[in-house]
Amino acid sequence: MIPEQTQPIRLAIDMPQSASATNAPTTDTSAPSPADASQSAEELCIEISHFNAWYGSFQAIHDLSLDIRRNQVTAFIGPSGCGKSTLLRWINRMNDIVPTAHSNGTLRIHDLDVLSPSTDVVHLRRQVGMVFQKPNPFPKTIYENVAFGPRLHLKLRRGELDELVEWSLRKAAVWDEVKDRLNAPALGLSGGQQQRLCIARAIAVGPEILLMDEPCSALDPASTLAIEDLIYELREQYTIVMVTHNMQQASRCSDRTAFFFEGRLVESGPTDDVFTKPQQKRTDDYVRGRFG
Amino acid sequence: MNIESTTPVAPNDSESQRPVPEAIRQGASATTESTQNSQRRIRRSKTFYGICVSVSFLSIVVLAVLLISIAVQGRSRLTPTLLTGAHSTSEPASSGMYPAIIGSLSICAVCALSALPLGIGTAIFLEEFQPTNPWLRRLHGFLNLNISNLAGVPSIVYGLLGLSLFVFMFNAFGQIKVNESSGTELMGVERYYQILTLAGGGDSVLVRQTDLALPTITITEPIEAVDRDGNTFRLEVWDPKSGTPKPKDPATQHRTVRLGQSGGAYAKTSWYYFRLPFGRSFLAAGLTLSLVILPIVIIAAQEALRSVSPSLREASYGLGATKWQTVRNVSLPAAIPGIMTGAILAMGRAIGEAAPILVVLGATVAKNSGPQNLMDTVVTMPVLIFHWAGDPQVTYQQLAAAAIIVLLLVLLLMNSLAIYLRQKIRVE
Amino acid sequence: MLSMLAMCAMATIGITIGIIVMLVTQSWHFFNSEYVSVTEFLTGTRWTALQSKNIEDADFGIWPLLSGTFRVTAIAMLIALPSGLITAVYLSEFATKKVRAVLKPTLEIIAGIPTVVLGYFAVLVIGPSLQWMTDGGFDAFNATSAGIAVGILCLPMVCSLSEDALHAVPRALREGAYGLGCTPFETSVKVVIPAALSGIVSAFLLAFSRAIGETMVVALAAGTQATYTIDPRTQSQTMTGFIVEMIKSENEYGTVQYFSLYGVAITLFVITFAMTLIGQLVRRRYRESYA
Repeated sequence: MIPEQTQPIRLAIDMPQSASATNAPTTDTSAPSPADASQSAEELCIEISHFNAWYGSFQAIHDLSLDIRRNQVTAFIGPSGCGKSTLLRWINRMNDIVPTAHSNGTLRIHDLDVLSPSTDVVHLRRQVGMVFQKPNPFPKTIYENVAFGPRLHLKLRRGELDELVEWSLRKAAVWDEVKDRLNAPALGLSGGQQQRLCIARAIAVGPEILLMDEPCSALDPASTLAIEDLIYELREQYTIVMVTHNMQQASRCSDRTAFFFEGRLVESGPTDDVFTKPQQKRTDDYVRGRFG
Repeated sequence: MNIESTTPVAPNDSESQRPVPEAIRQGASATTESTQNSQRRIRRSKTFYGICVSVSFLSIVVLAVLLISIAVQGRSRLTPTLLTGAHSTSEPASSGMYPAIIGSLSICAVCALSALPLGIGTAIFLEEFQPTNPWLRRLHGFLNLNISNLAGVPSIVYGLLGLSLFVFMFNAFGQIKVNESSGTELMGVERYYQILTLAGGGDSVLVRQTDLALPTITITEPIEAVDRDGNTFRLEVWDPKSGTPKPKDPATQHRTVRLGQSGGAYAKTSWYYFRLPFGRSFLAAGLTLSLVILPIVIIAAQEALRSVSPSLREASYGLGATKWQTVRNVSLPAAIPGIMTGAILAMGRAIGEAAPILVVLGATVAKNSGPQNLMDTVVTMPVLIFHWAGDPQVTYQQLAAAAIIVLLLVLLLMNSLAIYLRQKIRVE
Repeated sequence: MLSMLAMCAMATIGITIGIIVMLVTQSWHFFNSEYVSVTEFLTGTRWTALQSKNIEDADFGIWPLLSGTFRVTAIAMLIALPSGLITAVYLSEFATKKVRAVLKPTLEIIAGIPTVVLGYFAVLVIGPSLQWMTDGGFDAFNATSAGIAVGILCLPMVCSLSEDALHAVPRALREGAYGLGCTPFETSVKVVIPAALSGIVSAFLLAFSRAIGETMVVALAAGTQATYTIDPRTQSQTMTGFIVEMIKSENEYGTVQYFSLYGVAITLFVITFAMTLIGQLVRRRYRESYA
């Protein structure tokens, strides 16, 4: 299938862009409470325009523009190799560790230029947490896994750290299952528990955005359901960007959906619209399961 | 929670949702403090990277210093004499390493002939015939562990084993003593007494030795003898006191000896001379070295066989091939490049090994030819280098460096051969 | 045919048994001698098997040889372990293909250098440099120069075994660490190395055992005096060095002095065998944990 349209569709933005720029993260807004969330539901969080990315000489993303809003779940869908994971991994510059990866264009989080060489990636990744396809807890205890990030970034007293670990595990809805064995090895947990532990580990450093790269693809249906519920809950405090292969999952737990095909953004909009009245034929074919 | 939170609690907040800990509320934004923190950590990471690079490249520096210093030291002794001469105590300057090169290569050949079949056989057994019976599986695991342990045994211990096992054979076949006993000789040797004839000029005949315990013989009566060409004849005795004139005819002189003439023992050995125990021979040294490299060969061959894709084997079984046919026609050919590379690397190890040879053959380097038969002693390059390097004379020191250059070139040659063979087999 | 292969495999067990039988029977001649007591052997601090003319004057206490071995080994490990591990981290975490293409063959060449060559290098370059740097503070033959050469010898081994262990750490763990905002240093030191720890420990143990059994370097560079001290600047005959000296000497097969080398050899074998065994067992465990 050859894309007919080379000009990417640009999302309609309800809010003027300058609003997001002036709303630079401060101590007050960085820890959004549900109250904040309701106020700024349509606030712009990540702004991507004319973005291109390559692995070596292979262009994985072509001239892509997309806006991601705050405190919403945005799902990236599309067939394998369509560039959705690549884009996700550029948002927190994870592709820095791939030697051949390079990109150009604009990718901003509020007023931070993510792609600039001078960007402090350590701080960026702290603001933009990531959850991976396969649960990847460190071969340490459950407690150590969650405490790992805070220990890197903050100097905390023992009590503060304990409190933070508990808060994160509760937030990730895994506290009740692990509270009696915090010093047990994390690798002894089930797959679903491990993945929720990884979410707890990610939120323990206090990110604003969570990137999830097919977080349920390695899990059984029951664990998947638990994670999906969790994602729905977390939306109140975090901006979530999720890559998924599973269209039902996208429709179940995302607010907005972006459909990628062959490195290009075909269509994006509120999830209901994308699934029920897609503007593009290819989107329609894909969501109806005709290919991919 | 013991820290009071200032987070405004929204009315729709569920009970499970606890206030955000202070630590997170403060940490997430780009405050000066957190920027300083990440800047410091990035700096530390860069320092670490710098250390990594410099330490890694130190190994290149070390190698360069080693090669250059040895080249400088040995430069003046890299002459044709080095390759053609033998070790000389009286004239250090004309010493060479010809016998050592031949010796090393012949030991290496013995080593390859014994270690490779044994090692590859073991590897095939361990990799291709994995048992299902739990007891046999345990035995398999034990064999593997034993092999990796053998790889860690110091080579000098193998030398001592070789000394007992091959040189003395636990004295089961008698002890070898000069002029007294040669152990149990099986083939390739004919023992004679050498007796001077009347012809003079060092002309001699041979009389077969019957009792190995007698190192000499005294001729008192005519006896069966053998000439140099192997013809048997009757040896006549001439008694000067009897008044009989000394025979004039050269042919008769050649077959006559003076009465009471004595002769010493003389052994005529063929290249296949074989006896038990082996004594301080190059066969013993080669076999000892094969013990040293056996674990290396096995492990390399195992890895080569393991890296053969299982789908190849399954395809072979799928066509109805038996286990043996699969091993012979599929696994082994596919693993050959890897096995060859491992084998040649092991040979390189064998050529450079000095300690076990030192134990088996002793530290002597006085020999001016390669081995003449299986039971002959040899000099090897590493032993010669050890001998020369331990000598305070400057000439020997330089010779040692020059010999090292030759040894390294031989190793380089072998490794290039390994790479060439691997490429060639891959292409075909 | 299968039985022939099985016999090949059994031969390897035969070798182990052969080594043990040989060491036990030969050292029996030594320990059973009226001039030797096992207690003296294990606790004595004088070793004069080669120096004393009469058997009555000879002292057989293993500690001088042990201390020599451990001095050389300690220096070797001080060099080989950190630099081997750092090189392994560099190769597995940071090095580009081009750098690997230079560094890996260099290490393989170092690994392939015959030990007698390194021994000569120690005598020719390392020893004199140490003497020059300290204004003659070191003996001509000393534990340090031998130790440095043995360290160079062990470095490729530590490096390649540790690199194997680091490679076995799943990529997902590294991504997890970077995703939390770790710097490359923190990822390596706080996540990758701890995850590969058992493999690294096994590499260390195997290198340690190799250093203890190393012979030609110490025979050339460590000197022939068995000294009971911790001073790394003095001559220090090691266990392997003594075996070589005894072989080189004119001692006849059959004397107590000659058999003392088997007493030393069995000590050497027990130590290295234990190290290797533990190292291999640890190594197996880490291989299983990521299989």
